[in-house]
Amino acid sequence: MYIANTCPKPDFRKTLPSREGDRLLQFREALREAMTEEMRRDDRVFLMGEEVAYYNGAYKVSQGMLDEFGPKRIIDAPISENGFAGLAVGAAMYGLRPIIEFMSWSFSLVAADQILNNAPKMLYMSGGQWNMPIVFRGNDGAGGQLGSTHSWCVEGLYANVPGLKMAIPSNPYDAKGLLKSAIIDDDPVFFLESERMLADKAHVPAEEYYIPFGQARLAREGADCTLVSFGRPVNFCLDAAEELAKEGIDVDVLDMRTIRPLDKDSIIRSLKKTGRVVVVDQCWPFASVASEVITQVVEHAFDYLDHQPIRVNSDDVPTPYAKSLEAEYLPHKGKIIRAVKASLHRL
Amino acid sequence: MPKNLTMPRLSDTMEQGTIIKWHVKPGQKVKSGEVVADIETDKATMELQSFEDGVVSATNVKEGQAVPVGTLILSWEGGTGGAEVKSAPAAKAEPAQQVASAGSPTVAMPAAATAVAAPEPAHANGHRDRVFASPLARKMAADAGLDLNHLEGTGPSGRIVRKDVEAALSGGARPSAVPSLSPVETKPLPAPAPRPAPVTATGLSRKTWALNNMRTTIAKRLVESKTTIPHYQVTTAVRMDALLTLRQQLNDQLASQGVKLSVNDFIVRACALAMHQHPYVNTRWVAGSAPSVEFLDRVNIGVAIALPVNADGTGGGLVVATLRDADHMGLRQISAGTKAFADKARSKGLSVEDMSDSTFTISNLGMYGVEHFTAIINPPNTAILAVGAAVKKPVVETRNGKDELVVGHEMQMTMSSDHRVVDGAMAAQYLATVKSLLERPATLLV
Repeated sequence: MYIANTCPKPDFRKTLPSREGDRLLQFREALREAMTEEMRRDDRVFLMGEEVAYYNGAYKVSQGMLDEFGPKRIIDAPISENGFAGLAVGAAMYGLRPIIEFMSWSFSLVAADQILNNAPKMLYMSGGQWNMPIVFRGNDGAGGQLGSTHSWCVEGLYANVPGLKMAIPSNPYDAKGLLKSAIIDDDPVFFLESERMLADKAHVPAEEYYIPFGQARLAREGADCTLVSFGRPVNFCLDAAEELAKEGIDVDVLDMRTIRPLDKDSIIRSLKKTGRVVVVDQCWPFASVASEVITQVVEHAFDYLDHQPIRVNSDDVPTPYAKSLEAEYLPHKGKIIRAVKASLHRL
Repeated sequence: MPKNLTMPRLSDTMEQGTIIKWHVKPGQKVKSGEVVADIETDKATMELQSFEDGVVSATNVKEGQAVPVGTLILSWEGGTGGAEVKSAPAAKAEPAQQVASAGSPTVAMPAAATAVAAPEPAHANGHRDRVFASPLARKMAADAGLDLNHLEGTGPSGRIVRKDVEAALSGGARPSAVPSLSPVETKPLPAPAPRPAPVTATGLSRKTWALNNMRTTIAKRLVESKTTIPHYQVTTAVRMDALLTLRQQLNDQLASQGVKLSVNDFIVRACALAMHQHPYVNTRWVAGSAPSVEFLDRVNIGVAIALPVNADGTGGGLVVATLRDADHMGLRQISAGTKAFADKARSKGLSVEDMSDSTFTISNLGMYGVEHFTAIINPPNTAILAVGAAVKKPVVETRNGKDELVVGHEMQMTMSSDHRVVDGAMAAQYLATVKSLLERPATLLV
């Protein structure tokens, strides 16, 4: 089978459409739009995962897609992550562009050999012969009383591997623009969503747009401290910023959007203004993305630090099941406020 | 590939340099040999020349900013970067210096003065107490030339943070309680107009001056000298009438040729000649696991030259110019050489070569009427001579076996010596020779 489809080459320098508007979509709908648009344009793209087809998606992300694209392109997989992730690697080597949905990234652990050992290394090990244009996507992080084995935040673990890209949107607008960029990317993209955000609503423009990787968004502006985050905790940061503003503390909130590549320049630009940085990361603290961000800050902008960088992570324990404990375990608003105040020596 | 310029190491002891002036701008074409910047080191101001042709893309350090050796200072757009340095006239770096009004062209030197010139001894150690400051505060202070030692931190554990530096820069400094070596101007309240000074707990207003490179070096070197060299002093008084008479005669006769010998010129020559009889003074202590003493085969006399103090109390400073092979120089050469150095030091600045390799130093405060003082040894010299004024005194003279009280001129000179090399009796013998040469000055003419 020879497929002549080609990916579009979007002009990433183009200004993105406005985030203001009344075309309110849920996060899951934004993801669906991104996949649908790309699948209409390029028939090499297919979606595979548990319950994605006949059940319309365990989280209804792929609702209606089976009807539009049929069972050859919307494919229900058995409960066998290592199997269908490996299938994606083979399909990509044949020139297809798979989207693999993990119901939860917690379940991707059994597919580690395919997603970590094969996909990110294939281009390198084949001497540049085979790209791996796969999107692995699914829910990441604590979903709400799912217990410690089903509440994985995999970014710290997986971002360590060279050869992959990682996008972690925090809102519907970015979810769509980043997923479209992920699908047309020739490298494996780990796309981390959150079950807790799938119902979040925001304006998603009707016009087509692609959000470039490695470009953070300044979600809120302030001069006192730089908050760096990605994914769901960006929303915790915005809540914290709101509260801090009442006390006269104004913070920059940087939504990194992708952590591989990491937009170090935006972090440093903000740090140069504020002199302080607090990184909020839903992973555990040890060897986390927050640790990496702070290392890069110290390596590249040491002279601009007026206080040691602080990280706010989930607590260094397995995710608790109890509702109250799980809430306290996460890098929540209260922890962020305390960290910002500590960095300002105002505790 | 373009190779960018870094702060070069212009002397053995140089740790950082200040860009006094940029002669180039971004976008400017620069030819090989062209001067791109004036750089102030711990010793002198020098011109930095481009080694090759190129186009400047950026000057990465601001004028007035001090950066460590090796720091990127200039980026090229094209051509291979490189730099060569020649010692050169200093730029007008210091705030306008007043022309010295003192008549004497020779050295003027504050008490306890020694030099900036000589190479650093091997045991040099720039240790100072740890100051806790955020990286940003350190950078801001360095950019502004502010010494963190004088600030109190308000951050965690007393750390100096940005707002402390900002407060200091805006005049509301919180100086630390402990006075230090730095030039801190202290005035009693009420503070002078135009701006009321912030009232501190002690009721004093302060203005803090950042140290320039010269004063930083003086501070460092003198502490090191005074604390590591076992100093002791030997003083002798010299009857100066014969010398003053001879000097008057010579100056009268040579006035038409523009020659005016100073007392110090005679002292330089006497000290240089006396080295031949007492070579142990013309030495260097060499530290290390097996210390040794180097006997030097040339007699290079360093003369200390004080730089003028500005009206606002800043400026000042001290350099030691080296009269090379002073034992082979006549009085006329010594006089001309000293004058030339003094003029150059106060106008353009001395080069490293002008200030290096001294083997003995003379500091003279006679023109200020000082009768007696002691000086700190100028490393790596073994000794320094502090010379006072020749003053009229009642002197007992013995004529025809009879003691008489007469009025004579007497000058005191005090030698500070390194006891590791020169013992008291040795210093006394050297001084006796110098004294005898000065008291029978005809010898100095041949």
